[in-house]
Amino acid sequence: MARSSSSGLTFKLHPLVIVNVSDHYTRVKTQLNPPASVCASGHGSNNGEALIQQNPRVYGCVIGVQRGRTVEIFNSFELLYDPITQTLDRSFLEKKQELYKKVFPDFYILGWYSTGSDTDESDMHIHKALMDINESPVYVLLNPAINHAQKDLPVTIYESELHVIDGIPQLIFVHTSYTIETVEAERISVDHVAHLKPSDGGSAATQLAAHLTGIHSAIKMLNSRIRVLYQFLAAMQKGDIPCDNSLLRQVSSLLRRLPAMESERFQDNFLMEYNDKLLITYLAMITNCSSTMNEMVDKFNTAYDRNTRRGGRTAFM
Amino acid sequence: MEGSSTMMARKTWELENNIITVDQPDSNDTIFYYDDTAQSRFQQEKPWANDPHYFKRVKISALALLKMVVHARSGGNIEIMGLMQGKTDGDAIIVMDAFALPVEGTETRVNAQADAYEYMVEYSQTNKLAGRLENVVGWYHSHPGYGCWLSGIDVSTQRLNQQYQEPFLAVVIDPTRTASAGKVEIGAFRTYSEGYKPPDEPISEYQTIPLNKIEDFGVHCKQYYSLDITYFKSSLDSHLLDLLWNKYWVNTLSSSPLLGSADYVAGQISDLAEKLEQAESHLNHSRFGGIVPSSLHRKKEDESQLTKITRDSSKITVEQVHGLMSQVIKDVLFNSVRQSNNKSPNELSDTEPMITS
Repeated sequence: MARSSSSGLTFKLHPLVIVNVSDHYTRVKTQLNPPASVCASGHGSNNGEALIQQNPRVYGCVIGVQRGRTVEIFNSFELLYDPITQTLDRSFLEKKQELYKKVFPDFYILGWYSTGSDTDESDMHIHKALMDINESPVYVLLNPAINHAQKDLPVTIYESELHVIDGIPQLIFVHTSYTIETVEAERISVDHVAHLKPSDGGSAATQLAAHLTGIHSAIKMLNSRIRVLYQFLAAMQKGDIPCDNSLLRQVSSLLRRLPAMESERFQDNFLMEYNDKLLITYLAMITNCSSTMNEMVDKFNTAYDRNTRRGGRTAFM
Repeated sequence: MEGSSTMMARKTWELENNIITVDQPDSNDTIFYYDDTAQSRFQQEKPWANDPHYFKRVKISALALLKMVVHARSGGNIEIMGLMQGKTDGDAIIVMDAFALPVEGTETRVNAQADAYEYMVEYSQTNKLAGRLENVVGWYHSHPGYGCWLSGIDVSTQRLNQQYQEPFLAVVIDPTRTASAGKVEIGAFRTYSEGYKPPDEPISEYQTIPLNKIEDFGVHCKQYYSLDITYFKSSLDSHLLDLLWNKYWVNTLSSSPLLGSADYVAGQISDLAEKLEQAESHLNHSRFGGIVPSSLHRKKEDESQLTKITRDSSKITVEQVHGLMSQVIKDVLFNSVRQSNNKSPNELSDTEPMITS
């Protein structure tokens, strides 16, 4: 049911949205399936419906900004879903929207989200209902099933398009691709929680190790991706895979972008910054040395002090 | 994807941080369960009323941390403020979520005004409907660029909160230092009641305070204590974050902390210079009169002042050097490749050899 979108919009997703949706889902799921310690106090009726409630669907709204052809999804909040009428609670949405407008005046509703493994019939109703707020809402679907074999984020973004199927114009969901966009602060906190870096000072050595290992893993990823490309090209050269000219063009344009910066001014600026940092290091070392010297001199004076109260003779030899 | 060296490094950090990972994946998520009866019972008992040092730990969820840091950063140089929702668990306060308040902060104070209260009430109500059952359990605000501690106004606000809205927690975030240092600067505090003298206070982690705020810091620093912060995330969160790395490594490699924090660093250095001048004038006074026993005390103070300055300067330098390393690595990775018909490799003078694998 889902094909590739042709709207030409680029989508950017912030990790906050992903963590938000996951948290919403985990909360609802845990609340419906209370942990064993509380179960004993008489929640027996749950067991029968346990299977159905294992994967509750949660619904919510995504907000962000759209600038030209780029849609950037920054944040999200929960919504109430009425399973009987299969619609979202409208007044609730408006109330929430007002609240969020006060704190984030730039953001407006871009679409909605839900959890599940694939799009559903009922999703289209909700999608159409949202169309009066935003004429082309996006639908973010998160698959909460934890599958350790999968390499890709289980988040898909759908748009709606009007297609003519069997002579009847219908709205169907189409896939769109998206990139993960982040600000520096977001990246640091995601990194922090993901890898549980040491939060307090630690020694300088551990800090350095943490910093360098982060970069090292990133470089390893880069390396593995390049290897994949390399093997792909080698196979193409050998003839194992049919030649795909568009891919070859992309690879060649990628290679032509190296070296990334090649100009006199860049080198000058770079060296200037390098020297500045070396200067800072030098100053810090001088401060350190003068402080140590100061301490040493004081200790010396205390040890060889001629005016002690014991009558002018130094006692320490 | 992970080599054995990363695994070992991660294990070392986890040990250093005393992270106890729970093995069963399901029990990881039990923390998300909100037990109404247990919470209201805890409220009735009020075990914190007798012991001002009752709460010792704070557990912050991944979501709350992310939201708070992003909100703090979006405020730029203006202090922002928000509330945290969660529950208590023995001597720990658990923060599950956070939300921002529409409050204008000036440089010296952040006060909640009437419409902020209204916002808070409305937000809590809508949240309860949407399935988030926790209560407000604390407030957070940011100190952009000047560290995580409670100012005089913060102390009085928190005291008031602790009188009427127990259990309550104060959290301070510094987004500028976070961005510059590459790690999250956050602190959680609870105040003592007026006139309470804490027993031997354990020395909290040292942080540099700019000169213009140091008075405010010093006057009030004994009136509150800080709590240990640990973080938690659900199994789904961990899974998603692991997968996120597949797309995220690009951002890690391309981040340039040096460029963003030049302003802040310049401020720090000038602040250090001022402190150095102060320390110098003190030292001069005590030196001039020869070595007199009475001046020994002051000298000790100045010494520690000088050591403090040294520590500050090392901290700034280390951050800068880290940033510089990233820049050099990027330069080597992407710039040291020359097209074969251009300049010869002899042009590469002092950059390190390309990392070969």
